[in-house]
Amino acid sequence: MADQISLSRAAPAASREARRRRARGFAPAAPVLAFLLLCFALPVLALLLRSILEPHPGLQNYAALLATGTYANVLENTFLISFIVTAITAVVGLPLAWFITVAPRRLGRLVFGIVILSMWTNLLARTYAWMVLLQDTGPINNFLIWTGLIKNPLPLYGSLAGVVIGMVYIMLPFMVISLRGPLAALDPAMFQAASLCGAARLQSFTRIFLPLLLPGLGAGGLIIFVMSLGYYITPSLLGGAQDMMLAELIAQQVQTLLNWGLAGAASFVLLVVTLALYAVQARYLAPHGRKGH
Amino acid sequence: MMRRLGLGLCLALGGIAAAQAQSSMVFTSWGGTTQQAQQKDWADPFTKTTGIKVLQDGPTDYGKFKAMVESGNVSWDVVDVEGDFAQAAAKAGLLAPIDLPAADAAQLDPRFNSPDAVGSFYYSFVIAYNKSKFKGDAPKTMADLFDTAKFPGKRCFYKWSFAGVLEAALLADGVKPDQLYPLDLDRAFKKLDSIKSDIVWWSTGAQSQQQLASGQCPISLMWNGRVQALQDSGVPVAMSWDDNLTTGDMLVIPKGAPHLAAAQKFIAYATSAKAQAAFATDTGYAPVNKGAAALMGPKALAALPGAHAASHVDLNMAYWAAHRDDIANRWYAWQTK
Repeated sequence: MADQISLSRAAPAASREARRRRARGFAPAAPVLAFLLLCFALPVLALLLRSILEPHPGLQNYAALLATGTYANVLENTFLISFIVTAITAVVGLPLAWFITVAPRRLGRLVFGIVILSMWTNLLARTYAWMVLLQDTGPINNFLIWTGLIKNPLPLYGSLAGVVIGMVYIMLPFMVISLRGPLAALDPAMFQAASLCGAARLQSFTRIFLPLLLPGLGAGGLIIFVMSLGYYITPSLLGGAQDMMLAELIAQQVQTLLNWGLAGAASFVLLVVTLALYAVQARYLAPHGRKGH
Repeated sequence: MMRRLGLGLCLALGGIAAAQAQSSMVFTSWGGTTQQAQQKDWADPFTKTTGIKVLQDGPTDYGKFKAMVESGNVSWDVVDVEGDFAQAAAKAGLLAPIDLPAADAAQLDPRFNSPDAVGSFYYSFVIAYNKSKFKGDAPKTMADLFDTAKFPGKRCFYKWSFAGVLEAALLADGVKPDQLYPLDLDRAFKKLDSIKSDIVWWSTGAQSQQQLASGQCPISLMWNGRVQALQDSGVPVAMSWDDNLTTGDMLVIPKGAPHLAAAQKFIAYATSAKAQAAFATDTGYAPVNKGAAALMGPKALAALPGAHAASHVDLNMAYWAAHRDDIANRWYAWQTK
């Protein structure tokens, strides 16, 4: 807060100087920026143009995307699945990251290593492994039937459940990594102070623990949500046709129907939503000290 | 920094250019056991006799195909595509004409020979089943495929909009094979609705094999060569050739292919009797060259769709090429409903 006040009081000349200094600081980033412009911004622009020019100029692709039941379904699926995956990774990731932080150092490192290790394996291989595990005749269903808990196999494969399980597994490390920093920075003395002041456990969880972790949860959640929005392989292999997500729709439009216009529109909708989410995150969930920079 | 980046970029581009020297060409197909056989039986011996290196790429992607031709930046020389795409692409001007010597062209099955595309191989969608799931009666007909009361369990069908599943639904519903076209889509989707909750989709050949072998789908409508490959590796699966749905993959040259001469030579070799016989023996997919059968053993011949010609139902690629987009839109809308 003090930081912000001093900034707003600064004289215009000084702020111009600061801006110049900051601009000079960007010079080393020039190659990367040029690369992004050439390999990201221009193709996106080209796709955007196709979405409003093909098959003829107009907004018909966007109209089709938002008005046609099928595509609306796919959009809804995409957000629903991304939301569920983000929520579950948060609920599972928080205790896991907490355990890694408070566990004896060696054990914590081992568990963290296991979480990270899963990221080193090829995504396709991991998804195929889940395919085998989740099938009606796979080990999970076989085990549950063997224990007598269920009679008929659970529809884990080719269903929403399969997509969510597969995606949560892939996204979990991102949540754990995002939460590790904020968790390690927590000062235990704060909780002592809270309980000395008469806060119940739940109260100190909701009023101290969660608010302090919010930036970490926000960053992890945003990464996961945005990555989920564009997911292709996992929903395609583990989900049924009813669970189609936007990326698969785009692939289908491009690969089978050669309909670049509609695919471009779908990509653009995805991009706009992603940017909007990023703006929300930057505005409300970014670490407090950094605001204004 | 900038200079080093530029240098790296130039090196990378130079490398790509070197790889595209005239003594090589790129062949693109669908991957898996099929493309392995195409490499072993077509590309390797072709390289040995001509000295032209054949680089393998894949899987075939129609979007990429179209984008390459439209941008004039084509990196594929010969591509294995499905029949409906071959016809639609020819009409859209995406293909370079194929220039086979007349004597070679005369050897080809006329069903799979056109100015812009020649057959790669032909195959059948067959009713495949896992023998361990059916001790007594085994599914045999298209009606059985849709009868989940008599043969319980999931059905695995090809996910993409293509000839096969809709025809199977109509045949199961009692349509005569010679009255399939034009397809009665309402009737086909109604039939599919009756077992929709029991359908699991496969999007690649490897996936169809895994689903059948694991028992996820005790019954599947899939490519005969993939069932054959499972049988050859000792998995207890079998197939029924009743109303086997036949169509061919085609070899095409994208317009603007960088190694046109090599591509023409490769196609001439790949469709020769010898190359077709070797490929058919390895895969169970049928040769498009009329001279190939004479070069094959009786056991390999018996495994081919040609041995079940009496129960063939030809999938009409001209119909599919003409209605590709309409059917696809309806197909995907139905799938996601």
